[in-house]
Amino acid sequence: MPPLPLEGIRVCDLTWIIAGPTATRVLADFGAEVIRVEHEQAIDAIRLGRPTVGDHPTLNNSGFFNYFNRNKKSILLNVRHPDGFDILKRLIAASDILVENFSSRVLESWGLDYPQLRDIRPDIIYCSLSGFGHSGRDLDYTTWGPTAQALSGLTLMSGLPGKPPAGWGYSYMDHTAGYYAASAIMMALHHRNRTGEGQHIDLSQVEAGLVLTGPAVLDKTVNGRSWRREGMPPGNRAWQPAVAPHNTYPCAGEDRWVAIAVMNDAEWQALVRAMDDPEWAGDPRFATNDGRLAHQDELDARIETWTTEFTDYEVMELLQAAGVRAGVCQHAGDRFETDPQLRARDWWHSLPHPELGDCDYDGVVPKLSGTPGRLRSASPMLGADTHDVMRDVLDIPDEQFADLQAAGVFM
Amino acid sequence: MSGPLAGLRVVELCDELGQLAGKLLADMGADVIKVEPPDGSAARTVGPFVKDIPGPNRSLNFWYHNTNKRSVVLDYAHAEADRDHLRRLVATADVVLEGFEPGYLPSLALGYDDLRGLRDGLIMCSITPFGQDGPWAHYRTSDMVSLALGGPMNMNGYDPEDAPGAPPIRGHGDQGYNTASHYAMHGILAALLWRDRTGEGQYIDCSMHEALSCTTEVGMPYWLYNRQNVIRQTGRHAAAHRSEPWMYLARDGRRVLVFGVGRDNASWAKIKEWFQSEGFGLHFNEERFDSPQNRQPARGAPEAREILEEVGRFFAAHDSDYVYRGGQDRGQSWGVVLAPDEALDDPHWHDRGFFVPTTGEGLEGEALMPGAPYLFSATPWELRRPAPRLGEHTSEVLSELAARP
Repeated sequence: MPPLPLEGIRVCDLTWIIAGPTATRVLADFGAEVIRVEHEQAIDAIRLGRPTVGDHPTLNNSGFFNYFNRNKKSILLNVRHPDGFDILKRLIAASDILVENFSSRVLESWGLDYPQLRDIRPDIIYCSLSGFGHSGRDLDYTTWGPTAQALSGLTLMSGLPGKPPAGWGYSYMDHTAGYYAASAIMMALHHRNRTGEGQHIDLSQVEAGLVLTGPAVLDKTVNGRSWRREGMPPGNRAWQPAVAPHNTYPCAGEDRWVAIAVMNDAEWQALVRAMDDPEWAGDPRFATNDGRLAHQDELDARIETWTTEFTDYEVMELLQAAGVRAGVCQHAGDRFETDPQLRARDWWHSLPHPELGDCDYDGVVPKLSGTPGRLRSASPMLGADTHDVMRDVLDIPDEQFADLQAAGVFM
Repeated sequence: MSGPLAGLRVVELCDELGQLAGKLLADMGADVIKVEPPDGSAARTVGPFVKDIPGPNRSLNFWYHNTNKRSVVLDYAHAEADRDHLRRLVATADVVLEGFEPGYLPSLALGYDDLRGLRDGLIMCSITPFGQDGPWAHYRTSDMVSLALGGPMNMNGYDPEDAPGAPPIRGHGDQGYNTASHYAMHGILAALLWRDRTGEGQYIDCSMHEALSCTTEVGMPYWLYNRQNVIRQTGRHAAAHRSEPWMYLARDGRRVLVFGVGRDNASWAKIKEWFQSEGFGLHFNEERFDSPQNRQPARGAPEAREILEEVGRFFAAHDSDYVYRGGQDRGQSWGVVLAPDEALDDPHWHDRGFFVPTTGEGLEGEALMPGAPYLFSATPWELRRPAPRLGEHTSEVLSELAARP
């Protein structure tokens, strides 16, 4: 087994729901020892999240939770108990990183703001991931992924013109805020490696979303154009670069679609050849990109009559063979069952889980040649590692562990 | 330079795919040298342009994604002398970041195996649509095509009553390219941390298709555990079964996103009091609304639907900012569905110094754009220079190389 690049890095993980656990999933995939600190009275709601397996929720049978929490450990700790809080502080002292995605004032209210954390562990890297950040007049406001997508403009930037926004059909900003947090933590680790200095990283989920809209913001501040205007968003047609044809087209079967993007005249000519040179395509109005843009409705209708004669994968293969950018709108089922690319690159992995049985997982992206990330264990059962962590990380003898357990510290 | 990556040198050979990763490294202090062909990175041809006049230095897409970088023009595809310059530059670099089709750089004797001997501990990251191997490795994509194949698109769309027969919808903003760059960052930084400890470099193969395929949240678990594909719904999560709407029109024509109403009893009491003080939700006093389970959407309870219908009536009678702030003040994680530029009007982001000024060809003065994705207390994000003009730093960088022993 090759070594893991983050071996020996310990993370005290106070995160829950999706955004925080996504950040620690990245760190865990690359070998960090991620210790989820959980409490029965404030359970991570995703432990109850659908899809679950079995007739009733057990806190350990959520496939949703399992998807985001592989490679991690779980301890039960009642931080409201004075001894539990003391153990939390000892765990922080033994950790390189503390990460949480509570509302902005929660850790402060526990007496664990950054200066206090630094008293416990001087070089701690503390990453807080909240909706609005830990400063500014609205710091007490809160978000879920969809809220952050709405406020950052991402929801409005997805949809057909003249319709309500389609938005994002999942919490893209839970994933992506987590991705930014993981990057930030690793950059802070690099700085600590060189200087011995830790720091606080204050990450706002809405700001991370706004970072993904830069050209749209600049079009307003430079050119005075807002995305809130007639004809926007442009559906699956191109915004910039402004090219046509560029859309999704229905194929044979129910709700099957292929995305086709023609970026220049050469690709247009390749598309025409792939469609077997239909007479309509010789219309001089379609000869230039400007002409194709001006007559997109007719162009798209013509292409659609061709795509509906084939399956989506047939269209994709025909066009890719001709050098035209085309891809099937794949479901999760398509990716898992048929996608030859994911399969050829050994993307899928299986690990046993005590309640869920053998579970399939995505692999680790990207692939590192020397120290690749990998899957080591399924998501932890609630509190599965409490005893081991107390013994191995905090050197708590078994006798004292039993006393603390009897006092209700590990629940 | 104050960022955590100060002292790190990156050679970037990227167009639209990968330029964000270069920016994220440069904005945190790395010296990112963007090596461009004589006619410039293809990203310079992507609009919008300043005053809609195209030109290599007028692309706002390029302005945004190339902050803090230096631009060096080298005709490495055609001129051996320039390939040699590039090799000498790589010999001073910690990271090479590239986004070419698999096999292209090796065909110029500039692949990882050619470059690794030039610099101890070199990290090289290739960002490609599908990775370096596999049956689709040479297939061509765009941002939209990758969002289609990777799965995000098939999560976004419409209820049939809103747009009958609508296709899966692509969220704009080049989120496929962005997601590939986010994962490339993880790989580069993990490799850098390994190099900190051992001095060893390595090669990183980053596939946009894989990055997107693990960025579809509940979509994949529903297949893996229930063999079910989720259905697309207007402006809310795709799900196994249709759920209640999340977006409601306010009086000013903006939509407000409602992710639950009064999930806990304390915040429900505040919402009830607020609505009733304005003559709405008078029936909320009925006992059946006291149960959090009954108020929970997507569980089939009629109370949840009735609450949301009343929310719709309440919003229609008020402006979006009023209901947004009134809701947040009462513990509701609601948000206005804004255009990205409308965040410029919210003083909260200015309190945090989020928007930063930039400038460039054709613009008199400065214009604001999004700034730091994270606030570092010790080594902050910093805008040292705007995106470079094409070849702005060619002679500067070549002189630096010439001055080396």
